[in-house]
Amino acid sequence: MSLQFKKLLITVLAAAFLCSLLFVQYEEVTRRRAEAGLAEAPVAVPASSEQCVACHSDNTPGIVEQWKGSTHARSGIGCYECHEADRKDADSFDHYGKIIATVVTPMDCARCHTVEAGEFERSHHSKAGNILASLDNYLAEVVEGSRVPFQPHGPTPGFAVNEVNGLASAATGCQQCHGSKVALLSSDGGRITLDDLQPDENGQPTNLDALAKVVKDSQGKPRYHPATWPNTGIGRINLDGSRGSCSACHSRHDFSPRRARQPENCGKCHLGPDHPQKEIYEESKHGIAYRDLREHMNLEADTWILGEDYTQAPTCATCHMSGNVNNGGRITHDPGERISWTNRPPVSLRMDTDINHVVVKETDPAKRAKLVADTAEAKRARMQNVCAVCHTSDYIGSFYKQYDDFIVLYNEKFAKPGQELMKRLKGAGLISKPNFDEEIEWTWFYLWHHEGRRARHGASMMAPDYAQWHGMYEVAERFYLELIPQAREILEHAPEGKREEAAEISAWLEGLLARPEHQWIQSGEGAR
Amino acid sequence: MKSKEPPASRPDDAPPRRSFLGQTGGAAMALALATSYGTCGAYGLRFLYPARPPRRIWQFVAVADRLQPGESMPFRAPDGQRITVARQGEAGTVEDFIALGSTCPHLGCQVHWQPDRQRFFCPCHNGVFDPRGKGIGGPPGEAGQSLPRFPLKLEGGLLYIEVPAEGLLV
Amino acid sequence: MSAVSRWLAERIPVQPGQLRELTNEPVPNHLRRWWFCLGGTPAYLFVVQIVTGILLAFYYEASPEHAYESVRYITEEAAYGWFLRGIHKWAATLMIASMILHQMRVFFTGAYRKPRELNWMVGMCLLVTVLLTGFTGYSLVFEQLSYWGATVGANITDTVPFVGAHMKRLLLAGDAYNEHTLSRFFLLHAAVLPVTIGLLLFLHITLIRLQGVTEFHFEDEGPSEPKFFNFFPDHFLTELAIGLVLMVLLSVLATALPVTMGPKADPLTTPEIIKPEWFFYVAFRWLKLFSATVAVLSMGFILFVMFLWPFIDAWIRRRWPGSEFSVWVGTAGALTIIGLTVWEAAVAH
Repeated sequence: MSLQFKKLLITVLAAAFLCSLLFVQYEEVTRRRAEAGLAEAPVAVPASSEQCVACHSDNTPGIVEQWKGSTHARSGIGCYECHEADRKDADSFDHYGKIIATVVTPMDCARCHTVEAGEFERSHHSKAGNILASLDNYLAEVVEGSRVPFQPHGPTPGFAVNEVNGLASAATGCQQCHGSKVALLSSDGGRITLDDLQPDENGQPTNLDALAKVVKDSQGKPRYHPATWPNTGIGRINLDGSRGSCSACHSRHDFSPRRARQPENCGKCHLGPDHPQKEIYEESKHGIAYRDLREHMNLEADTWILGEDYTQAPTCATCHMSGNVNNGGRITHDPGERISWTNRPPVSLRMDTDINHVVVKETDPAKRAKLVADTAEAKRARMQNVCAVCHTSDYIGSFYKQYDDFIVLYNEKFAKPGQELMKRLKGAGLISKPNFDEEIEWTWFYLWHHEGRRARHGASMMAPDYAQWHGMYEVAERFYLELIPQAREILEHAPEGKREEAAEISAWLEGLLARPEHQWIQSGEGAR
Repeated sequence: MKSKEPPASRPDDAPPRRSFLGQTGGAAMALALATSYGTCGAYGLRFLYPARPPRRIWQFVAVADRLQPGESMPFRAPDGQRITVARQGEAGTVEDFIALGSTCPHLGCQVHWQPDRQRFFCPCHNGVFDPRGKGIGGPPGEAGQSLPRFPLKLEGGLLYIEVPAEGLLV
Repeated sequence: MSAVSRWLAERIPVQPGQLRELTNEPVPNHLRRWWFCLGGTPAYLFVVQIVTGILLAFYYEASPEHAYESVRYITEEAAYGWFLRGIHKWAATLMIASMILHQMRVFFTGAYRKPRELNWMVGMCLLVTVLLTGFTGYSLVFEQLSYWGATVGANITDTVPFVGAHMKRLLLAGDAYNEHTLSRFFLLHAAVLPVTIGLLLFLHITLIRLQGVTEFHFEDEGPSEPKFFNFFPDHFLTELAIGLVLMVLLSVLATALPVTMGPKADPLTTPEIIKPEWFFYVAFRWLKLFSATVAVLSMGFILFVMFLWPFIDAWIRRRWPGSEFSVWVGTAGALTIIGLTVWEAAVAH
């Protein structure tokens, strides 16, 4: 091989080397481009929260890590932006030079999320705390527990029990969904709530005497009453006077919209014997499709607009809250905006609401029209916008016909007669004032509060088994085999002096049962 | 593989034509070698050069309504830079706001706002800047330097600033 | 003589003649056969490794917390990082492969025989040092496989009788992989072993220069052909061409089979399948065939025999003149190595 040839060979090889390097360059550029598209936005700790992250990465690494994955972190919203408090706030304290508060309320979130907070505030969700004076609460506080602490029945080996807290069932049960009335611990062991603090419109207490009694730890941090915090109940009654808790759905500390879009999130509360919405959803075609296709539903999407970001299946949020292509992608934080019946009370009511977003009960059509600010029909139209992304208007209209007929059937055949019967018995003094001390009161409660709601919710969200076997079938059984016989028993055994009233109610009852829809039981049709 | 050429032990004896060819071949070879290895070397150098200018991210500054016209607030970027965010208009748009770095473009000292004289002042060499950050006195004024400005955006009533993404977590 | 060259000549007193003599070592004609240039290949690749290694070290951090992340940064973020890391990895593979081929060539041509016994031994030392460099380098990535590879490697050392436990402690800087282990591996890989290789290489080449390259004569060569040609420029150009072929090969390999990032090392979970780098497949399979101590001691014995082979071979040739024993041993050894490597590569466990 000549030197000349070697030189030529080397030249050719060097050119080949250069070509391979050019290919490397091409790869590098392609990679950069792909990377630029995929690159996740970096997250930096905002200077305001540097100190917080420094300590809490060691103390409570979980919440810091969760925050790092949040949209807040990506937008430079750190710990302080939410936990920031005013020195005048009831639960504020100096935490290494920064005035903060532990509990973040909708009033805090509203600093940025004004629209969402407004919608939430007028929703039924934010008023869930009103249960604290309701029939359900009476059950938890009195029937299941005791409003006054009482003495233990006997010693518990290995555990000192001096006194039984009769409100424990309400605190860990009802209030974890409905929300507690947040209280600071008073030096006498009692609670200091917003009733004592009387917060002004900025949420700052006006009664400074109450404030003086707050128990503080060695670092000056006020202590919450342990029965009221921790609590993320959706209708929490906060010290600043605001109602609710955004973290009920947007869990701390990643505040993920993704999670709020999933039915499991609503299932924290909307399940069980009295309002099994989660189970109903799972039984429905919608829930089945969701279970099958959730990976394709783009749950991470920024906007998550039905018809644009996904179409596979609706979740609770899809129908009741999220945006869709038919409504311009408008999200609402008031799930009541799209609901046309309220199936919560014994007798379902149309969701014609007044300016305060309260259901109008006025019966006179003219007066009613004046009072109503947002009609049930308008609400239904909003819901039908969602339906219409997948279903034709005929289909939707006929579904609503089925639904309305079902509600009316329940209302007219069982709910209204049952309600009237109970009203008459109580009015005549044939059953006592306190609730749940007579069997028939439990029977009626089961009928509307458990079985009746199951049936109506089942019908509203297309779960046949809940509408019928878990629903109307049990309503009927309760009505015919328990409510009516128990009423007859009471009427027959009416004490001296109430006989007249009893006879009157009996006549009404027999008249009711003589109506065509109940006649079958009289005529012996049922024996067949 | 085997060469029938005599060994090139004495290239001086070669005729001039071959010498010329040899020189051209040698030059071409040298050029090809230099280009290829040079490119490879350049890649190595590029590898050492900082990967890319620090990425920039949008960070939340404040709820816009909280800043009244004429007011300003300090903002500290994740990399520690001090920035003054001021509202100078009431149109309700992002143009109302201005974000100026507090590092003097002259020699890197920290400037501060003098509210009574409506100016930023750098104590190191008496640099003076107007409320829009333009140098109007001292060395920056002479050199026509301004305080660094940071982009702002207004989204849903919230004010965001674009700053270098230093002190990264992820 | 120009002013510049005079100025230079005064300050660097080397005569052009001396320079020519230094570089123009007469090269035996058989080196025109490219097969005989394999010795230069590992040397060239060693230079490639030094250059790419220094570049990679600019970003690499030898601590369990940052090692994986820094390698990830190199691979995924730094400009051309994937390319340089790819070259470094593939050059290591080619270096070891070409060393083995070079050694086989030397063995089967009997080039280790008198007076070159010492250079064979230096070569054996080079082989072991390069393998150790490969082992430590693989561990630096701090992937699952490299982490567990290092752990297994250290525990193999442990099985050596008497000194094993101490060797393991010395290697790992403790009884188990800990926060000091990685920096130890890094220094071995990036400083101690490369310097050792450099010194051994210098010795290797010096001995070649002093003894001259072994001369061969092939049957198809006519008797009239000259026996030598000049190192410069003739053989130098050959080496240059080989270097370029290697560079093309490396950049094609680095692009076509790019380096990847495995899962990060997790001291709590051993992966289902652990494999060392391919050049340790032989040893890995050997370990599975025998009990640990037997395997380690037998491997040590084999290495020792290889080390002393020139003397063993000489003794055999004295005892049975004309014996082809070394060829048979070499063939059997090579086939065993290939067989065990293929076996290990083919099965999962």
